[in-house]
Amino acid sequence: MASRGTAQRPNGTQGKICQFKLVLLGESAVGKSSLVLRFVKGQFHEYQESTIGAAFLTQTVCLEETTVKFEIWDTAGQERYHSLAPMYYRGAQAAIVVYDITNQDTFTRATTWVKELQRQASPSIVIALAGNKADLGNKRVVEYEEAQAYAEENGLLFMETSAKTAMNVNDIFLAIAKKLPKNEQTGNAGTSGQGRRLVESEGQKPTSGNCCK
Amino acid sequence: MVQFWIVVCRHTSWPLHALVDEYGFERPENFNYETYEEFMSEYLKVLAKRAKKWSDIIGEGRSVRRNLTVKRYVRKGIPGVHRCSVWLSVSGAEELKNKSPNLYQQLLNDQHDPQVAENIRIDLPRTFPDNIFFNNTDLHQRQLYNILLAFAHQNQEVGYCQGLNYIAGLLLLVTKNEENAFWLLKVLIENILPEYYTPTMKGLLIDIDVLVELVKLKMPDVFQHVENLGLPWPVITTKWFICLFAEVLPTETTLRIWDCLFYEGSKIVFRVALTLIKRNKQNLLACQDFTDLAECFKEITKDSIVVKCHEFMESIFKVPGSLSNSTILKLRQKVEQTHKEQKLAKTSR
Repeated sequence: MASRGTAQRPNGTQGKICQFKLVLLGESAVGKSSLVLRFVKGQFHEYQESTIGAAFLTQTVCLEETTVKFEIWDTAGQERYHSLAPMYYRGAQAAIVVYDITNQDTFTRATTWVKELQRQASPSIVIALAGNKADLGNKRVVEYEEAQAYAEENGLLFMETSAKTAMNVNDIFLAIAKKLPKNEQTGNAGTSGQGRRLVESEGQKPTSGNCCK
Repeated sequence: MVQFWIVVCRHTSWPLHALVDEYGFERPENFNYETYEEFMSEYLKVLAKRAKKWSDIIGEGRSVRRNLTVKRYVRKGIPGVHRCSVWLSVSGAEELKNKSPNLYQQLLNDQHDPQVAENIRIDLPRTFPDNIFFNNTDLHQRQLYNILLAFAHQNQEVGYCQGLNYIAGLLLLVTKNEENAFWLLKVLIENILPEYYTPTMKGLLIDIDVLVELVKLKMPDVFQHVENLGLPWPVITTKWFICLFAEVLPTETTLRIWDCLFYEGSKIVFRVALTLIKRNKQNLLACQDFTDLAECFKEITKDSIVVKCHEFMESIFKVPGSLSNSTILKLRQKVEQTHKEQKLAKTSR
């Protein structure tokens, strides 16, 4: 899948594109699709359609030396779609587990997703916990400290986010991009914990304004 | 605004350049009005011809019976004005409704599971937010709530499954009557489709693999290509099966599919899926990687092939070749057996 081309410098750093599979998991209506929509298109809809099965999008972020292209799998939240979830997190190098800070049950559900990922997903998977709907601070029931302590115990990245105001949305993806291994080995996104490294070409220019400023 | 659209909707001549379609759905940003206009100039003639044919067999207050003529007529499309009554009669929903004329009202009056009610309520504003009827009036959301709650209450095994909101929502837009929409939903979920919406989604997982078997059989090159690029079939097809192409294909195309679905059963879903794949085979095979392929599967549900619903519906009975009920039944049994064995192997590990 990955290959080395003339565009690449001999030291293999400049112009390197790494492609990673990222999956979003979490209870229904916590804002998974809204986070993706904000990150990929910079948009927000007060009422986002419920996702059936899964939706697929891509977005690119630029770090100093590498360009990280995310293949984003946004999944359905309802419990009965759970049997399909392993298909989406299988081979994923990163996951964002989302809960709604105004709903305790969604936090509990997030912790069970984390456990499942730790048990079943790739051992090197980078997991981020996102406490979404942070703009609804006056309705908060999940305390920041509680979630942060949980994230620390479990070695997760953690941020409170708001797809509505865009708070921390790019940041959480960027933090994940930074934490992902981007060394010389190449591998297939479907089978190993390593990102696929692609050679930069004209057709793969990073898209939106949140990248490569 | 809404009042205006409601008035216009009742007329057959829908403005071709309207920003919403005749069911109130906003046209997508990149909607190709030129292709659409070209198609409609032909399709309006077809509609006029079909309307005449249907009016000959469906008089005032008479309902149609299942027979070969009606089946042929259904394949050629049911006019919007007759859709509700024809769906009710050919699917058996009308018979069920006549047997229990008070059931719907009783279900609404019962005590409901508050958790199920809450799950439904959360999805109401998330159902067709780009449809002017659902986003501008409380009426449609309240009716949708009633239909879904009544259904969940009388079928507690299924309860509420996400996806049913889109089906019930579209049924409501077509029938403009919540009780009829309820009966059609009930007959669709309980009689026409296998267990797609139960907690294990067993029937869905089986039918996805049945489709994979059919692709392998009829288009081995496409099957191999999708396997090689590592795109799992459920990723592509879950929504096709769960929403029965609502929210996937253009509205009129979806309704033409549902015309046949109510008459001929779940086999139609396979015909549509196979046609979509086969007619776009070259594009699919040209995809170089996983990302391209996933995009391509999205594209094929929007292009001119599916906008031209009349031609598309003719093609679903030709393009996939023969597809008998017994073939589907055998494949379902075979896949179910494989799933059982896989499950057994997993638990004994």
